[in-house]
Order: sequence, then C-alpha cells, then structure tokens
Amino acid sequence: MTLSPSRLMADSPVKVNFPGQADSAPSVEDQKRMEQSYNQMKRKMSIAQMGKAIKHKIMVLSGKGGVGKSTVATGLALSLAQEGLKVGLLDIDITGPNVPKMMGLDGHRLDVMDGRIHPAKGHLGVKVISMAFLLEDEDTPVIWRGPIKLGAIQQFIGDVEWGNLDYLIIDFPPGTSDEPLTVAQSLPDISGMVIVTTPQDVALLDSRKSLTFAKSLKVDVLGVIENMSGYTIHGKSMPNEDIELFGPGGKTINATADDSGLWSATLDIFKAGGGKKISDDFNVPFLGALPFDPGFVRGGDDGVHRIVSEPEGASALAFADVVSAIKDQVEKSSSSPGLEII
Amino acid sequence: MPQLTRLERRDTDMVLDWDDGTNHTIPYDDIRHACPCASCSPQRNEDETSMMLRHTIENLPREKPTVRTIGNYALSFEWVQGCSSGIYRFERLWKLGEKQDPDGGKTYVHGAW
Repeated sequence: MTLSPSRLMADSPVKVNFPGQADSAPSVEDQKRMEQSYNQMKRKMSIAQMGKAIKHKIMVLSGKGGVGKSTVATGLALSLAQEGLKVGLLDIDITGPNVPKMMGLDGHRLDVMDGRIHPAKGHLGVKVISMAFLLEDEDTPVIWRGPIKLGAIQQFIGDVEWGNLDYLIIDFPPGTSDEPLTVAQSLPDISGMVIVTTPQDVALLDSRKSLTFAKSLKVDVLGVIENMSGYTIHGKSMPNEDIELFGPGGKTINATADDSGLWSATLDIFKAGGGKKISDDFNVPFLGALPFDPGFVRGGDDGVHRIVSEPEGASALAFADVVSAIKDQVEKSSSSPGLEII
Repeated sequence: MPQLTRLERRDTDMVLDWDDGTNHTIPYDDIRHACPCASCSPQRNEDETSMMLRHTIENLPREKPTVRTIGNYALSFEWVQGCSSGIYRFERLWKLGEKQDPDGGKTYVHGAW
C-alpha cells in the first residue's frame, strides 16, 4: 500500500521520511494549525447552515446602557413564543450576561454533545445561550480583551445546535463595538436591528449612533422601541370626580374617575415621545412604546418574566403590539437577492 | 450606490456585475494594492512605499482568491500568499471599478478610521 503524506498525518503516529523529503511528517505546530483550520472551516459551514435553519434573526441594540435592552429582548422572545413560534435567545453580553436570570435559568449549565453546544430551554420553550452558563458563579467577572470576546461570539454563533427556529433574538451589550460588529459580519441573512431607547435626550443621543451603525453595516433597521415610556398609576375617589395630580417636573396631570370612582393617570417619568421622534428623524419605523412597569424588576429578579406571570397584563399586551409591528417589518424588509460568486 | 449581484473570478482579474447594469473588471493586483487593512493602508501613504507594495504584490504567484461576504456590506479576499486581512466595503469595490482612488485622497492614520 502506498502511503501518502496526508494519510500518514491522519492515521500514523510513526514518522516516515519520503525520498527527496528530509522530514515530511507535519510538526506538532503544523498539526495544531491544520486542526484549527479544520475547526474554522467546520464553523463556517455550520454558520452557513444556521443561516438557512433560522428564518429570522433580529439584533436588539441600544446606544446607552440601562434602557432595558435585555428585558425587551427577553420579552420579545417570550412574546413570539407565546404565539407558538420556535424561538431562540442569544445573550451576547459577554461581561454582563443576565438573560438566564430573567428566564429562570440561573445556575444552569450547557450540554455539549459531539462538539456541539446545546442551548438551555427557558420559559415557553425558548432556547437560550449565554455566557452566564459558562461562569463558575455569578460573582465571576469576564475579563477579556476584544479578540477573545470575538472568538467566544463566533463559537456562540457557529458551535451551537439551535435546530430549526422561526426567530433568533440576539441581545447585545450597549454600544456599537466588537459584539454587534462581529455578529453583523459573521451571521448571514440578518433580518434587521431593533433599537431600544428610553425617551430622555441622553438615551436618544446614543440611539442615533446605533441607527448610523446599522446604516453603515447595511443592516435593515426594523424600528425603534421606546421603553419605560410611562408609569400608569391607579386610584379610587368619588364617582366622576376630577382628579388633579402633580407629575414629574411639576406638570399637572388631570384624570376623571369613572362611575365606580376608579381613575388612572400616566406619569411620563423619563419624558415621552422621544422614540417616535428619533424614528421620524431617521425615517425608520416606530415599533411602539412599552410602559414603565415595576413588575419587570420583580420578574427579572424572580426569574419569571412579566409576560409569563401576567400574560394578559398591560405590559404583555404592549409587547404583543410591538411584536406584531416587528413581524410586519420583517415581512416587508427587503430580502436581498444575494450575491453570486463564481 | 448600485448593489453587487455577481462576481466572477477569472485568472488574473474579477468581473463585477452591479444591479444597474454596470460591469467592472478589476485586476487582482489592483484589489490587493487597495487592501484597506491597517498594515497595507499606511504603505499607500507615500509614493515610494506604495510602489514597493505594488512591486511586492506583482511578484506574488498568480492565484484566484477565495471570496467571502462580510455581513451585508463588504467582501473579503483570501489569498494563499500575501495579505488577506482587508475588508472591502462594496463602496470601495465600486470606486476601484470606476478607477477612482478608493481612499478618496486621504492618507491613512491608525485609529482615525
């Protein structure tokens, strides 16, 4: 039997010198390099496959931190799952991963079979991948520079066995740096970005950067969501009585009690209308406003999202409206005819 | 800007078809010389180093690159030899096809892009 060098590489631990070749067996370094190239090729094939197996991929971004991006991403995933769709939730926030806690998956560990990572299953069957699953405990920080983060993100994209999904929601840390850039470069056929903002000017200023970022990477903007839009309070007084409240900034808010004396009024704690304004400025759709709801805070801490604990509540209904607007945009979004490379 | 619909790799150049009907033929040497990576770009800042870069590229073996899409906005070209780091935005390829300076006459400064 004739042994080719490549066959020897694969099968034989014995080093053989071929005529005219002083040392034809690959060195350990060469073998490592080949193994890396092979793994990279496998990952690229897997990413291409993922492009087909997942119908819609949505990036959830914000310029500013603390606007409720993870809460919104989790809410979108759950709201879509409520409609019977197969949904995945990818938490790309490497240094501050908190989606698992909100999904009741605290302390969960991931299964790895045949070199493939299997996502955890949260509420309503939503498949979840997060850096939090890989940390020893919740106090362990991830202290990584960009290139290492990049490798982890590519693994999250290429080495995860998502199966067939209708929607993959991707939650990012705030800003327009390594994480969204890597995903936008690596993941094929992204349906678009959703920008989460709160109504105040500081958040809007940062959201404008996210919108320009999307434009620069030629990723469709599905729209803007205004989170923490207004806090509705309820009270009881005399039937049909006019109520006068002093809201934030000394603004007077009027309400009228109904026949049974019940009244409600909405306080615009972080102002109002900023999300709509920025969507008009950038000529992108406004997907809707989500109310300021302390139930999200409790739900996040308890691992039971508001949508799960109160599926018919005002917040869940607001999410359903936003999801409906997103689905409309996804249908409308121009599916690129693709580039033929010969 | 029109959308790139087809890219044909030939022996020494590539043909790019855009959706407005425009066709461009760009030699591989031009593509490689216009590499936007942080290593190649500064070499184009001075005529002398730019010519040296061109000379190095022209002495590389002829080969067809592997072409990969980068998201929705760019392409990368992988060569067996020479630099494969550059991410070429479609705008850059259009400018190359139109025989325009893809750097817009600007010199490269690290961190400024």
